[in-house]
Amino acid sequence: MWYKVFKFELQYRKKRPATYIYFGVLAFVSLMAISTDSIQIGGGTGLVKENAPATIAKMMVILSAFMMMITSAIMGVGILRDFEHKMESLLFSTPIKKWDYLFGRFLGSFVTTIFVFSGILLGFVLGEFMPWRDADKLLPFNFWNYLHPFLYFTIPNLLFSGILFFITGALSRKMVMVYVQWIVLFAVYQVAAILFGEVDNREIAGILDPFAFYTVNNETQYWTVAEQNSLTIPIEGTVLLNRLLWTAIGLAVFVVGYFTFSFNTVRSGIIKKKSKKPEAKSQTNVSIPSINPSYSLATYLKQIWRQAVFYRNYIMKGIPFITISLFGFFIMVVNSFYIGEVFGTYTYPTTYLMLELITGAFGLFFMIILVFYSGELIWRERDVKFSQIQDTLPMPDFSSLLSKFLGLMMVFVLMILFLIFSGVAIQTLKGFYKYDLQVYFTTMFSETLSFIVLYSLLAFFVQVMVNNKFLGHAVMIVFFIAMAVLDNWGLEHRLFQFATNSLGTYSEMNGYGHFFTRFNWLDVYWLGLVLFLFGISVVFAVRGAEAAMKWRWKIGLLRLGRPLLVFMITSFMVFGLSGCYIYYNTNVLNTYQNSEDQEAQQANYERTLKKYEFIAQPQVTAMNMKVEIYPEERDYSAEGVYTMKNFTDEPITHLHLQLDPSDDTQHEYVRIPSGSSIEESFEDFNYFIHKLNTPLNPGDSITLEFKLIYETSGFKESGSNTGIVYNGSFINNQTFPSIGYNAGNELSSDDDRKDNDLEPKERLMKRDNPIGLSRNFISDDSHGIDFEIVVGTVPSQIAVAPGYLQKEWEENGRKYYHYKMDQKMIPFFNVVSARYEVVRDKTSIMVDSLEQEIDLEIYYHEGHEYNLESMMKGMKKSFAYFSKNFSPYQYRQMRILEFPRYSNFAQSFANTVPFSEGIGFMVKLEEDDDVDVTFFVTAHELAHQWWAHQVIGADVQGSQVLSESLAQYSALMVMKEEYPQEHIKEFLKEELDRYLTGRTFEQKKEMPLALVENQSYIHYGKGANIMYSLQDYIGEDSVNIALSRFIDKWGMNSFERNGRYSTTIDLLEHLRAVTPDSLQFVITDFFDKIVLFENKMNEASFAEKSEGAYEVSLSIQTKKMQADSIGYEAEVPIDYWIDVGVYGKNEAGDDKLIYLKKHRFTERESQLKIKVTEEPTSAGIDPLNKLIDRNPEDNTKRVSEKTSS
Amino acid sequence: MNLIIKNLSKTYSNGVKALNDVSLEIPTGMFGLLGPNGAGKSSLMRTIATLQEPDEGSISLGDLDVLKQKDEVRKILGYLPQEFGVYPRVSAEVLLDHLAVLKGIANKKERKELVESLLHKTNLWQARKKNLGGYSGGMKQRFGIAQALISQPKLIIVDEPTAGLDPAERNRFLNLLSELGENTVVILSTHIVDDVKELCTNMAIINQGTVLYQGNPLRAIEEVNGKVWRKSIEKAELEDHKSEYNVISDRLIAGKPEIHVLADAKPDPSFYSIEADLEDVYFSHILAPEKEAALA
Repeated sequence: MWYKVFKFELQYRKKRPATYIYFGVLAFVSLMAISTDSIQIGGGTGLVKENAPATIAKMMVILSAFMMMITSAIMGVGILRDFEHKMESLLFSTPIKKWDYLFGRFLGSFVTTIFVFSGILLGFVLGEFMPWRDADKLLPFNFWNYLHPFLYFTIPNLLFSGILFFITGALSRKMVMVYVQWIVLFAVYQVAAILFGEVDNREIAGILDPFAFYTVNNETQYWTVAEQNSLTIPIEGTVLLNRLLWTAIGLAVFVVGYFTFSFNTVRSGIIKKKSKKPEAKSQTNVSIPSINPSYSLATYLKQIWRQAVFYRNYIMKGIPFITISLFGFFIMVVNSFYIGEVFGTYTYPTTYLMLELITGAFGLFFMIILVFYSGELIWRERDVKFSQIQDTLPMPDFSSLLSKFLGLMMVFVLMILFLIFSGVAIQTLKGFYKYDLQVYFTTMFSETLSFIVLYSLLAFFVQVMVNNKFLGHAVMIVFFIAMAVLDNWGLEHRLFQFATNSLGTYSEMNGYGHFFTRFNWLDVYWLGLVLFLFGISVVFAVRGAEAAMKWRWKIGLLRLGRPLLVFMITSFMVFGLSGCYIYYNTNVLNTYQNSEDQEAQQANYERTLKKYEFIAQPQVTAMNMKVEIYPEERDYSAEGVYTMKNFTDEPITHLHLQLDPSDDTQHEYVRIPSGSSIEESFEDFNYFIHKLNTPLNPGDSITLEFKLIYETSGFKESGSNTGIVYNGSFINNQTFPSIGYNAGNELSSDDDRKDNDLEPKERLMKRDNPIGLSRNFISDDSHGIDFEIVVGTVPSQIAVAPGYLQKEWEENGRKYYHYKMDQKMIPFFNVVSARYEVVRDKTSIMVDSLEQEIDLEIYYHEGHEYNLESMMKGMKKSFAYFSKNFSPYQYRQMRILEFPRYSNFAQSFANTVPFSEGIGFMVKLEEDDDVDVTFFVTAHELAHQWWAHQVIGADVQGSQVLSESLAQYSALMVMKEEYPQEHIKEFLKEELDRYLTGRTFEQKKEMPLALVENQSYIHYGKGANIMYSLQDYIGEDSVNIALSRFIDKWGMNSFERNGRYSTTIDLLEHLRAVTPDSLQFVITDFFDKIVLFENKMNEASFAEKSEGAYEVSLSIQTKKMQADSIGYEAEVPIDYWIDVGVYGKNEAGDDKLIYLKKHRFTERESQLKIKVTEEPTSAGIDPLNKLIDRNPEDNTKRVSEKTSS
Repeated sequence: MNLIIKNLSKTYSNGVKALNDVSLEIPTGMFGLLGPNGAGKSSLMRTIATLQEPDEGSISLGDLDVLKQKDEVRKILGYLPQEFGVYPRVSAEVLLDHLAVLKGIANKKERKELVESLLHKTNLWQARKKNLGGYSGGMKQRFGIAQALISQPKLIIVDEPTAGLDPAERNRFLNLLSELGENTVVILSTHIVDDVKELCTNMAIINQGTVLYQGNPLRAIEEVNGKVWRKSIEKAELEDHKSEYNVISDRLIAGKPEIHVLADAKPDPSFYSIEADLEDVYFSHILAPEKEAALA
């Protein structure tokens, strides 16, 4: 019998156009997604092929998750149809059994769903053969790569979600409840997304995610390029668990649903209403009092208000709204545990972070509510069939739409107020009481609300014009996609991007700064447009029975009275004029280039000027600067004198000058006092070739004088200069003239280069390239400069630059600071100006057995005192350690300067470290085992005073090892002295994740550490782990001896002394010199190869031999893999010393190491017996994860007790 | 204040001719619009109620152009559509009050009195706090008339108000209608002849978009009086009779068909003379053009 129902259902679906429309939509979207850039979801990058199995799997999972709305439509309708068409009484009285009905219907709908979703499969497969596909980016066609994820991810997803939707529909008999399930699933997915942010929680996220997106991500997170290109997702472990879990949930829902479903038309309510006391009877003989209706403006306003409240109540009492809000709130609360995470620790829950939390959690829900309810409201009367009454009410035509809009806005305003309240509540619960209510209100009621207003009015317009609720929703979704795709068509300008105006980053130092102006104008602009559209909506709104466009236009003309016409013309004028004003600001006062033009410009620069890259030029030996900062105007000027010397053996006849090409910078003069003429100028690139009147002989010097004025005029389309702001300016010498061709301006990504017909580019020169060796990686203009600067700013701010303060004075209502450096420094300096508080301290180090004082200063924003102590401590400990172990500190002072959180980094200039507001300053250490990030970053930046300012690597492969990896090492060593081992482990785990994740996104090739080509995942992430292991293997002292010798030879004035700069070859030479022969292989593996381990504790058990004597038996896998540049891994024979550790419990019940010792492993599988004196709980191979291992979790295993027989 | 409809025509996009050159003059008082289902009654009513546009023709109410001055018409209009829904989770009292505001009754006290009197009048007082979702068909219909009466309308349009009501409900409803002021134009559309007979001073019969008859119900009966003949026949004879005589209606009486025939003289002795009523008028007008068309 069920078969008949099933067949009937299939027949029915076969005739429905919707089935084919859904199928077509899915096929089309999939085709576009996989074969073009216009819809980008989860595709691979760089070397990962576009049809790599892992990429296909991810895209398919995302697509099928997003399109689950379609599943809800098909599955929900499968059962709800009968209720909606009131067929149930007919149907339930037929002799069909409940099982036949439910199962037949379900199976029919489910088969239809699978058919519809096979559109994805078809689209993907077709996409592979589209003529525009780039063969270089494709693997040979393999159908299995498409079918595999469809079978293992799409179909199980459809099964459980289908069951859920079907059963919900059957039990609730309401479509709304079906959609609610979709939101529930989405919420679970969101929770998985949040969990995934934490390295430790990824596995749980993988099990939990109902769409299996994070399951796949968890599985493939460390897959190399080669693996992504060759492997399908293995159905085992977490993946299998996830699939089984959700299928089981689905089946359970079906069983429960089956028994709960009542095959009856009338259902007994769950809650019985209390019987009310009887009311008095009607008196039908009353007369109707005469009344005086009024049709004044006041009445109209009152009517609009009443209606708005009416609609607000309708929305807020509805189940969809309540569910959406509850889940949004739920996600916000879950997310609040993870806000501001830096290396496993969290920052203070400042108001701007709460706002990010709120908008992050609610952004999408706002959108869903807005799209869904704009349709519901426009159709409200027609849906309940009340429209014929409503439409004859004597109200003006605009009042219906206006009151619906206001009703919706009331909902949002109430939500916003509630969210602000929740934000404050979360802050309070986290023990943070500095609520910045003003920031809450300004942000939520400007940025958030304006977004809502703009999109709501647009959605109203769309709903009115298409006059079909579901089509309206579809149009809105297409609109969102179109907006996202606009970039790819080169329409990047904000004037084309609807409602994308944002307030930008909030900084407690600078508030919303200059962003407000631009935001407000764009807001006015879009508001003008949507109000105009609202006018059109009023004209075309359906009132009455006529829905054909012809009639709506005819009736609309009657409405187009003077007031409406004036309103529409005015709003259109506002739109047009503000658009002109914005254009004037962004494109006339400022220069606007879309990214394509920008890239073309860069390519042109390279084509035109590359020939000058290596021509002989003098080097700067001194800079004498005067910089004036005008924070209120966001202007600055810089006057400078460069002294330049010919270090070559030949006379130099021409000087090549690269001036800042930005239109904001005007050069008042650029001259060579000894005489020159411009021989060739490239205005487009602001590149000039001066012919010197008298050639510069070897060893001789000349000077260059210039003055530039940076003027901020109007506002920019995007990328406004956050270096010069009202409070917290941070400019460096990049905008000042430099010598010769600047290779940094070239296009770097191979894809971009290909688009512009350029050959791929090598990232760095080889380590034996004489040109690379003759210059340092920071600047090719200089081998070190004498530096002097006068900085002027407003009196309320303090301006700081490298060097020692010579003098400060006030003049003409401005404040001036004169700084001078007492020794050569690299030509890399910054000028910072802000309203600072200053904390000062001193520390001393021993230099040649003399005590030397160092002045320590922290310039910070008032209220950011939280971590000053950590920073001070970090500075003191660092100076002590580095000076003792490496070489003395070359300066007598160190200043840390806070700057706004437009960037989140800290940077080390000579005796000056700008430190972002967003990191260090706001970190909150809650528990003892939280890693002190501030301390670490301080130590890292201070280490750069040695590794970048004392030793400067040559401009060749591996130079970042000499700066960043060594700074990582130095900071780790300082931290190791100060904090327990667990902190280091926690920290290294994050760095390992950074390395392992980073290599999966490699664009060109993964390099061994010693040859790193500016790949931060290698020189920071792998560097930290490798350097830490290195000192573990050969000893901290040995490493430090090697480093101090290295500084001795390659430190200050290296170029003058050695005729070149140092490379990793030099570093490794010193390291090898302190390494015993038996461990030389470690240096090779760590620096010259890409080696990974797959260590695993297979079995672990113990037996108590006698009181206090335990024997632990271990079965261990030690596998050593060597990878090539794209991640092909091959197992290589192992002969290694690796840690074996056994854990017991301390008094407090926490894990503690009771045994840790290196053992030599020569086989892939080994057995080991270890004697310990305490009862063991777990044992591990490399338990502290000192070696690079993609599955560190399986290194440790609980030991089971073997009862000795 | 008369409602004057001139040459109103409307063809729907699916080709159905809903109104075909309809001209009517409707004075104050009750006006019955009689016609079978699908005759175009509702189209006409909607057009008068500012909800629909004719292809041609004009409608004026006093000196108002109904098709253009929609806002003015709406101020004096009370409209009960043929089919309407309600907000299920709102009570009658609340919704009436809400609608009263929307009809321009801004004064709260005035509104309260009005709503209470309407609830009494329509016999909904007892159920005023009950959600409309729980109303029976009759209660809902009475609610409909209550909302139509809110602002002392000068033009009341009630479209098929008695369909689906039980006899008691129907009586109560008609009584309510009959109480409406004499200065008001009340248009009652129905396919039930008795509704018109009992209430209306003027009427029109409309079918397939065309006005077949307009006038006073009593005079209309007089016109056919003496021309209607009754006969009881066997079922098998029905077809023969239909082709032979001008049968305007047939119905079963105690299981046997009884036909009414329109003829100037007694067709044959088996026919009995009867007193014509409005139904005979109705059927004679409805069927006559069809017969003509069939004969042509």
